[in-house]
Amino acid sequence: MQLQVAQPAVDVTTPVSATATFDPPVVHVGEKAFYRVNVDATESSIEWPDTLAAPAALKFGANTRGMITQMQINSFRPLTAFLYEVQATAPGHFTITNFSVTVLGGPVEIPAASLDVVAANIPLPPAPPDARRLVLEIPATNFFLGQPFRVRVLLPPGPGNEIEALREVQFSGDGLMIDKTAMQQAIEPVNLNGQLETAFVCEMVVTPIAAGALKFAAQGFTAGREFTPPISIRGQVNLSGGPAKYVLLVSDPAEIKVRPLPVEGELPGFTGAIGKFFFDPPQLTTNRLHVGEPVQLRITFHGEGELTRLVPPAAPRSRDWQIIADPPPATSFTLIPLADDVSETPAIPFSYFDPEAAKYVDLTIPPLPVTVAGEGLPAELPTLDDAGKTAAPLKLSNLAATPGKTAWSLKPLQLRGWLVAVQLAPVAGFLALWQWDRRRRYLEAHPEIMRRARARRALQREQHRLQQAAAAGDAAAFVQHAARAMSIAVAPHFPADPHALVGGDVLAQLDAAARNGPAGETVRKVFAAADAQFAGTPPSPPDLAVLRPGVETVLQQLEEKL
Amino acid sequence: MSRPRFHRCCSCVQVVKACLPAPRCLGIFLLAALIYAANLSQAATNDFFARGLEFSHAGQFPEAAAAFEKAARAQPAAGTLLNLGLAEWQRGHAGAAILAWEQARWIDPFDPRTATNLKFARQAAQLDEPPLKWFEEVSTWLPANAWVWLAGGALWLAVGLLVLPGIFRRRKAGWHQWLAALAFGFFLFSLTANFGVVSRAQIGFVVRKNAPLQLTPTHDGEVISTLASGEPARQLRTRGNYVFIHTLGASGWMEQSEFRLVCPR
Repeated sequence: MQLQVAQPAVDVTTPVSATATFDPPVVHVGEKAFYRVNVDATESSIEWPDTLAAPAALKFGANTRGMITQMQINSFRPLTAFLYEVQATAPGHFTITNFSVTVLGGPVEIPAASLDVVAANIPLPPAPPDARRLVLEIPATNFFLGQPFRVRVLLPPGPGNEIEALREVQFSGDGLMIDKTAMQQAIEPVNLNGQLETAFVCEMVVTPIAAGALKFAAQGFTAGREFTPPISIRGQVNLSGGPAKYVLLVSDPAEIKVRPLPVEGELPGFTGAIGKFFFDPPQLTTNRLHVGEPVQLRITFHGEGELTRLVPPAAPRSRDWQIIADPPPATSFTLIPLADDVSETPAIPFSYFDPEAAKYVDLTIPPLPVTVAGEGLPAELPTLDDAGKTAAPLKLSNLAATPGKTAWSLKPLQLRGWLVAVQLAPVAGFLALWQWDRRRRYLEAHPEIMRRARARRALQREQHRLQQAAAAGDAAAFVQHAARAMSIAVAPHFPADPHALVGGDVLAQLDAAARNGPAGETVRKVFAAADAQFAGTPPSPPDLAVLRPGVETVLQQLEEKL
Repeated sequence: MSRPRFHRCCSCVQVVKACLPAPRCLGIFLLAALIYAANLSQAATNDFFARGLEFSHAGQFPEAAAAFEKAARAQPAAGTLLNLGLAEWQRGHAGAAILAWEQARWIDPFDPRTATNLKFARQAAQLDEPPLKWFEEVSTWLPANAWVWLAGGALWLAVGLLVLPGIFRRRKAGWHQWLAALAFGFFLFSLTANFGVVSRAQIGFVVRKNAPLQLTPTHDGEVISTLASGEPARQLRTRGNYVFIHTLGASGWMEQSEFRLVCPR
């Protein structure tokens, strides 16, 4: 109440007055000027006409309006400004005549205002400071929907490089959300039209809330020395003297293109954060806790985006944890374990959209290891005997000192596929035995097969010895082995023991042509020599070089019949 | 190693073969490597077991349980699982303790300590034993894997006694036939026990306190009832992250993480 009394009153008793001017009053053909009307009343109390009567050579462009509270000696007085952008198409003296508007139910006359338009070659007087324009600086022209960005509104210095404050800064245009809480003011050197000048800078955060091409301009009232703290000042500054002059200024419009965020690729935990973010390692107040005991998980975010507008991740649902997100702007969580078998905090999904890479980036808060102690279970139980008396308590066993009996796996063998193969392995053994028995019975029924096989093996051995004797030049041994080899080769045909056979038996197994030919002759020679050795008669040694090819031929013929 | 033999006519393959160690040496080397690897694994298991014992003696039961669990995962052993159950019990996890002791009993059904602990735990936590059918009861008389070898041995003994005398031309004696009949009887008996083992493999235990039993295998499924930690149940089928189980009182779906089989598949 005391504060309200101390405030100056709002002046509503003084009659409403109005002014109308062109800024600048003289322009070249085709140049722009402002038609400015100031009425010292509130904007809502003025019934302003939609169109103004003006000469045909004056083309009205964009118009804007604004209201400011003027600080007078002992009172406040509202001031509403109407600003029209005007362009003259022909030289001449143009006047917008006086007209009347209704303010607070009564008529107020807007005085006439004149604009002189001269040819392009005629020099102009210096432009008054009211003809200045604000400068609007935006960091880029392409943004995503919901992507906050900083906008700078610059008020160029007035005559004598005097710096003025800028109040009631607004943006005209649809589809933008202005965050005035993040407004920063400064007086600093800036680059204006290629020249470094000290200017008043007002920085605000703007968030596009509509997709498509958005056009907007800045407006604000000059306010003399009425700076609103906080404000940072750099460099040498000349402040304007005298009472503040409230002039509504506008900037040239700026255009941005706003694209909607892609739907595909959106990650869990996206809360609308756009920019580039990261966080310090999450910190728990403790990692040993009990069931039901709260613990705080602190996460500190950093990044290139607007952290003031960062919405922290939502608390996920978990069966093992109760998760409570701390109230913004805090980005911490209170976690309460509900079970004692949890070994880590829950992962908290979070993601942001990176406008440079045009994709979502996962920034899930990772789980942290914790040890949760539960309620203990009894290690001993009292027992009663049959008579109802207390007996020895039932207790748990002691620890096993060794691992004890082991198993390869707890999965039973009955559920393993390879077990069938192992169990059927004896079948193969039985089949082999059965096959062996069949073969044995067959050989028993056909003994000649065995005899021939044995004869072949004996013949090979004998031929080997024969070769050795021939190589050694031992004619006697050669004859003995040749006779024996021939006997072995024909023995299965009789069947008979090879020792019981003579040359005639061998000849009997040769066909008639061979028997009467060289083969028969060889057989006879071999057996004659062998018989002579057996009888002890010293024979004349046979010529091995002659006899050997014949013996080999005979043995080959006999082996083929075997 | 023999020097490589080069012949004028020999091919590169022959040279390479000559350079390689003999297959017998390779076999011995592989066998040695296998034995070495097995010994390393055994040493690691024993290391975890020893660490678990130390933690248990120090009263650090969560750490002890973790160590014993690692040892049991490397090589399941009755003593390791017994100690794991004790550590879990001490940290208040009745379900996990009962499961570990049931697994110990699966490996060694003759250890009286596991039987005592299971009886104690069920009495303290007011829990029932899993209801067993007669053939399942029979299957508990021996270790589960013993029944397989018993069945196989009995069958092939019977077949051998009937077939081999004929093959080896021995006269079938009376004792051959008696023994074959006995072995075949053992085979038939062990078949039922094997069936009991397979059936018992579906038994598991709830390992979470107040685990919800749901009507549907969905995240927001209607909860039929909640089961106590250590409650026995039979797993009938699975769908996604849920298992359909049948308990003494009800049937329903439960999250896989809340229910574990005695012999995991």
